[in-house]
Amino acid sequence: ALVCLSFQMVDAKAPPADLTIDAYQVTISGTVTDDTGAPLPGANVVVKGTTNGTQTDFDGNYTITADENATLVFSYIGFATQEIPINGQTTIDITLSEDTNQLSEVVVLGYASQTRGDLTGSVASVDVSEATKQPLVNAAEALEGRVTGVTVVNTGTPGDAPKIVIRGFGTSNNTNPLYIIDGVQTDNANVLNSINPQDIEQINVLKDGAAAIYGARASNGVVIITTKSGSYNQGEPVVSLDVYSGIARATNKPGLLNVEQHANMIFESLSNDGATVTHPQYGDGPTPTIPSQLIGYTRVVSYDPITRAPRSATVRPGGTDWLDAITQNAQVQNVSMSIQNGNETGKYFMSANFLNREGIFLETGFKQGTTRLNSEFKIGDKIIIGEHLNASFSNRGNNTSEVNNAFRMSPLIPVYDDEGDFAGTGAPGLSNTRSPVAQLVRRKDDYNKIFRVFGDVYLQAQLYEGLTFKTTISGNIENFNQRRFQALDPEHIEPLSTNTLFEQDINSFTWTWNNTLNYNKTFGDHTLNALVGIEAVEDGSKGKQISRNGFLFETPDFYLLSNGSGTPNVDFAFDGETSLFSIFGTANYSYAGKYFATVTVRNDKSSRFLGDNQSQTFPSFSAGWLISEEDFFPKDGFVSRLKLKGSWGQLGNQTLPVNNPTINISSLNEQLANYALNGSSISTGAILNSVGNPDLKWETSETANFGIEAGFFDDELFLTFEVFDIQTKDLINRDNSLISTTAIDAQAPFVNLGDVQNRGFDLAIGYNHTTSYGLNYNVQANISRYKNEVKEWISDFTVGRTNLRGGAVTRTEVGQPISYYYGREVTGFDSNGRFTYRDVNGDGQIDDENDRTFIGSPHPDFTYGINLSMDYKGFDLSAFFSGSKGNDAYNYEKIFTDFPTFFNGNRSTRVLDSWTPNNTDATLPALSQTIQNAETQPNSYFVEDASFMRLKNLQIGYTFPSNITESLGMNSLRLYVQGTNLFTITDYSGFDPEVISNDNLSLAIDFGNFPLSQIFTVGINTKF
Amino acid sequence: ALSDEALANEQGVNLLLVGAYSALDGIRNNQGAADWTVSGDNWWFDVLADDAHKGSTDGDQADLFLLETYDWTSANPYVFGKWNGLFAGVNRANAVISLINSLEEGDFSSQLAEARFLRGHFNFELQKIYGNVPYISEENFANTEFNQPNPGPIWDQIEADFQYAVDNLPASQADVGRPTSWAAKAFLGKVHLFQSEWGQALALLQDVINNGPYSLLPEFADNFRLAGDNSSENIFSIQFTTDSGQSFNGNRGGTLNFPNPGPFGSCCGFYQPTQDLTNAYQTDGTGLPLLDTFNQTDVANDYGINSDEAFTPHTGPLDPRLDYTVGRRGIDYNGYGPHVGKDWIRASFADISGPYLPKKNVYTAGEDANQGTGAWGQQHSGINYHIMRYADVLLMAAEAALEANGDVATALNYVNQVRDRAKNSTPVMNEAGDAPAANYQIEPYASFPDVDFARKAVRFERRLELAMEGHRLFDLRRWGNSVDVINEYIQNEARTIGNFGTKANAYQANMDLLPIPIAAIDLSGGVLTQNPGF
Repeated sequence: ALVCLSFQMVDAKAPPADLTIDAYQVTISGTVTDDTGAPLPGANVVVKGTTNGTQTDFDGNYTITADENATLVFSYIGFATQEIPINGQTTIDITLSEDTNQLSEVVVLGYASQTRGDLTGSVASVDVSEATKQPLVNAAEALEGRVTGVTVVNTGTPGDAPKIVIRGFGTSNNTNPLYIIDGVQTDNANVLNSINPQDIEQINVLKDGAAAIYGARASNGVVIITTKSGSYNQGEPVVSLDVYSGIARATNKPGLLNVEQHANMIFESLSNDGATVTHPQYGDGPTPTIPSQLIGYTRVVSYDPITRAPRSATVRPGGTDWLDAITQNAQVQNVSMSIQNGNETGKYFMSANFLNREGIFLETGFKQGTTRLNSEFKIGDKIIIGEHLNASFSNRGNNTSEVNNAFRMSPLIPVYDDEGDFAGTGAPGLSNTRSPVAQLVRRKDDYNKIFRVFGDVYLQAQLYEGLTFKTTISGNIENFNQRRFQALDPEHIEPLSTNTLFEQDINSFTWTWNNTLNYNKTFGDHTLNALVGIEAVEDGSKGKQISRNGFLFETPDFYLLSNGSGTPNVDFAFDGETSLFSIFGTANYSYAGKYFATVTVRNDKSSRFLGDNQSQTFPSFSAGWLISEEDFFPKDGFVSRLKLKGSWGQLGNQTLPVNNPTINISSLNEQLANYALNGSSISTGAILNSVGNPDLKWETSETANFGIEAGFFDDELFLTFEVFDIQTKDLINRDNSLISTTAIDAQAPFVNLGDVQNRGFDLAIGYNHTTSYGLNYNVQANISRYKNEVKEWISDFTVGRTNLRGGAVTRTEVGQPISYYYGREVTGFDSNGRFTYRDVNGDGQIDDENDRTFIGSPHPDFTYGINLSMDYKGFDLSAFFSGSKGNDAYNYEKIFTDFPTFFNGNRSTRVLDSWTPNNTDATLPALSQTIQNAETQPNSYFVEDASFMRLKNLQIGYTFPSNITESLGMNSLRLYVQGTNLFTITDYSGFDPEVISNDNLSLAIDFGNFPLSQIFTVGINTKF
Repeated sequence: ALSDEALANEQGVNLLLVGAYSALDGIRNNQGAADWTVSGDNWWFDVLADDAHKGSTDGDQADLFLLETYDWTSANPYVFGKWNGLFAGVNRANAVISLINSLEEGDFSSQLAEARFLRGHFNFELQKIYGNVPYISEENFANTEFNQPNPGPIWDQIEADFQYAVDNLPASQADVGRPTSWAAKAFLGKVHLFQSEWGQALALLQDVINNGPYSLLPEFADNFRLAGDNSSENIFSIQFTTDSGQSFNGNRGGTLNFPNPGPFGSCCGFYQPTQDLTNAYQTDGTGLPLLDTFNQTDVANDYGINSDEAFTPHTGPLDPRLDYTVGRRGIDYNGYGPHVGKDWIRASFADISGPYLPKKNVYTAGEDANQGTGAWGQQHSGINYHIMRYADVLLMAAEAALEANGDVATALNYVNQVRDRAKNSTPVMNEAGDAPAANYQIEPYASFPDVDFARKAVRFERRLELAMEGHRLFDLRRWGNSVDVINEYIQNEARTIGNFGTKANAYQANMDLLPIPIAAIDLSGGVLTQNPGF
């Protein structure tokens, strides 16, 4: 109603000024088509300088009455506007050309679309053709370094999704943005694995109030992915075939001790302690002796009871480099094919893709096949029906990182014993690390299979001139099946006495139904685009894990639950659903191509909250002023375009890992609540599982954004600069201080913890130029910064993960960024070679209560990306650098590699620079058999600068001239070679400075993650 | 998933009550520390005292190594795990009490009494271990107010719970795992004992001895076998059971405490008795312990001797309970044949764990019903852990009689009942089965000449009878002699384990309480305060 009202006001206020004198009125009709001859329905036809206008029908036809001397203006979103003087004609057919100017590009914003030049919100788009040049697995990787304000932390684990954070950590909850894939909504980044990057037409990121159209789910930003479609009247099918193949390998391997260094380290440690220097492997002489065979090595020969027998295992010269032993040169392959076509009444796009990505660790990897069918049909004049359907099947191996075990495994142990079986710790003095090679190889038949189908069906009907109704039903159905087999490990010093099969099944679904009504009209200088809609979303998931032990054979054909001999065990089972119901409306208004305004309101009702807290309304406003269109703006200056824009909006977040956070939930629990009350048989008991918070309410982000867009030298040079201020209120997370250590053993309730502010800026600069001799080049750089600060908090502070050796390393409190590192500050060494710590309260004593302090922050000062591309006479080159500056990481692995947490295990080469009376300017304290002076408790030694700059991608290609491709029967042919992650500049001492975090109150703690790999590929792009 | 409404009935009360019993083993939800740190059998408190070494190699479970060598910090995960597990127990009991209070109909007095008994037990453990602990009431529970200050002891609340249990529990229970009013009296007596309220302790304990249903088992060793489960000697125990599948109800906290390598071969070589404890079992020519001189001679020790090298077990006179408590080379190991020495010891000779193996917590060969396993085949023993057994009651009563009235005769009587049972039990036999495995000599005391001697004898008897059952450290603490005894033990132990002396720090007076875990102080937002000296 509001929309219509404002419209009438516009109409009434601007009577056509020219119609004051008599003139011949003529009726003009015609057809508007695009370059291919396809009719353009909904194109605007306006009599210039008046509010008299109409739109073309489904067949591109229009009829309008106008003064015979008037001029008609034909416009259509994404096409260059044309003005045709009538000059007495009664039939004017016109062909509009697609506007190649980037500013005219149509940006898909979910329920609606807008021309880029008209945007007033903060909407960033990915250059998809550049981004998908890399060998991507997950489409979200395309965002890294290419979109300002978006931080992407990759994981090297094949098949795992990267972590995306848009404009800082506004939440302690789920930071995943909302992904809109055509019509499908999800905040599960893994769904993006199932999209073939080659199918993507556009990726747009809504970073500010513009996201408010997605209300309750939008506070982490919205990423909108649109897939390709065919074109109407295309004439003949276009077939594309893209193939690449290559090799991935590990880089930046940290240095570990060889066997001589290890032996010396052991002896020096014992000697420093004043203990008798003797070792089961290295002997008891004054200096260590490297045994040629493991001394006292045994292996399990029979079970029940476990009996070991001697085995011989020969020590390798120099010892075993376990990092070498677990890594491989991995295969990378991808084949992608698509076909698209369309006639007058229908169009389609179909694709198939196969991806194989082996991991750089033995027997790890990810394989996936994907198919897609997008099609659309016109029924009569007014109705369009279409669908997107994506089906994928993937298999991820058991990609558990073995980096930690490889760090810890003694270099004395060979990979295989003298009989060719895996060798392990089955001898004294070898610690109790499991062989990382054996672990990897034994897991080779494990799988994580996902069958996923998602897509939507939509119907669009033109109800009236400019008024369109659209209904969309979309769904995502996922079937997850995991098989894990824990095999016996007879070489291990603490051998398993039984093997176990774990079977997990999870079925998940999401369905969404939305209905929108869209009104689009241009009157003279006024353009209005209004939309109202309703939407219902339901999510559900049901799953279980069953395990059973006692398998006689360790071969995959035998891995069925029915083949175990132990009693089967239900490890967990769950079933739950959540729903969301929403009403929303948005209106875009622009005047004379100079002034723009957008208003959006959305109300959401979530099943996760109770009573009045269920519903909340999220408004947003934005406005823009294209100054360069003003008359007073110099037309021939070096500034070719200048636009100011601003927005304000409220966005919500209700994505929680539980369905019912408001109520107490107890459960019967076989493992934790049962008890043999009568001494023999088991009585069933119940425990409180999680505490509910009936008062829980939405987390809300209030975002303000102000931006400048400028083009220089006919837009060859462009610059966009935006500053933002995001206040996230009522942040939701579990409050562990409420369920503190003196509480019942339930999970803490979700509460509204406090308020967090993120302030910062995004800056992008680009230059593209084509020289007179045909060299076309493009340089783009972007830089983003956010400053995160906790403004209010429910308690003095909240600690992060507590189940770490030495305790929690992160803390969140007012005045500091979320999840800063908290511990003792190492100041040097005392005269015994032990760490000295800063006496924070100056009382002359060091204790944990008073002398822990801020020791670092995982938040970067800024992140950046640099893209270079050029082409010349068929050759093309692109390079892409990505980096992060000023962020710390907590290198938790140093607890194992730098300290005697497992004395007989291996260490980093850093221990070669341990303190001695002759080496007081050392890296590490004096060697010892045991951890002394609480040196592995959270302290600043573990905090490292994790800044890096990485050459993410370098690609060189050659496109064959058309005479050659034609003679081969092709439309185009391009060959390329490329390198991914070719080099990394960093001071970080771990495997990979990109440390992925799963818990937002415990950021960037390095647990020996799967590192990124270096990939070399050759590829071919063809079209037929 | 059950909502509060679904549990608001008798069924709910019973389910939550079983859940509270289930916390006796310390294993809890969202544990945040390993099973062995929370263990309900208090095994690692013997490592802090003079009875046991951690076992295995020094670097294995380095956090317990730091406790064993008296390098204590408030961040130690053992210190945290135990705390966390016990408060889970307190509040699972609170959940039952709170629910009963909210129900308007039905008679739940026996369930309420059981829940309060359990809460009393958990709080008693906290009080013994940490001293200054917060008291979390059922009202605090209902209002989610778990951050309470810890100004000092909570003895009054513990006594109130046990008193309620004394008054409201039946004298016998159909389910052997539930406490009776007699058990409650014994626990209340022990609570008074720990406060040196000797008269009150004596009255209660003697009531239990004179009027209660308990008696000593004929065989000492049956307390650690199937035959002793819920026998006449049991006052209250954790009902460990080996289920048909994974033994979630077995002793998960004790999983490390089996020889490795050894007759089971798997895990993990922890909880090794000390030389000091072994020496304590030496007797003189009259079958009486060497109260003051037991460390002047060492029971023959094979530390530093490999299994393929010759070794002759000790030939001097020994209390027969030694070989049901300490596994030593050449003597039968719970029916699995003679302990072979080094080949069954995981620790190297450079480590500080010594040559002995634990016995009471390790199942006897052939008792398959006690052999439970966990997910990866680790040991989840079904041997019940006696939180209190009748021998303990007798010795506590002996002590109370002595301290309350200098009643030497009563003390002698109770001590001799315990010694007579040991004397009359079947000793460990040699391999052929035709003679005792060692030179066992044990006799009751003829008399206690004076109170001082009696006190020494009573205290020594507690060690001999209850060693490796998780009591020793708390006894030393309440006797006020932990600093002397433990520091002397460190010196003595270094005689046979050279590196022990080098690696162990001195036991300090403030160690009579464990530190309040730093994670607890952090999570309380500073409501909790640290114990002195940490």
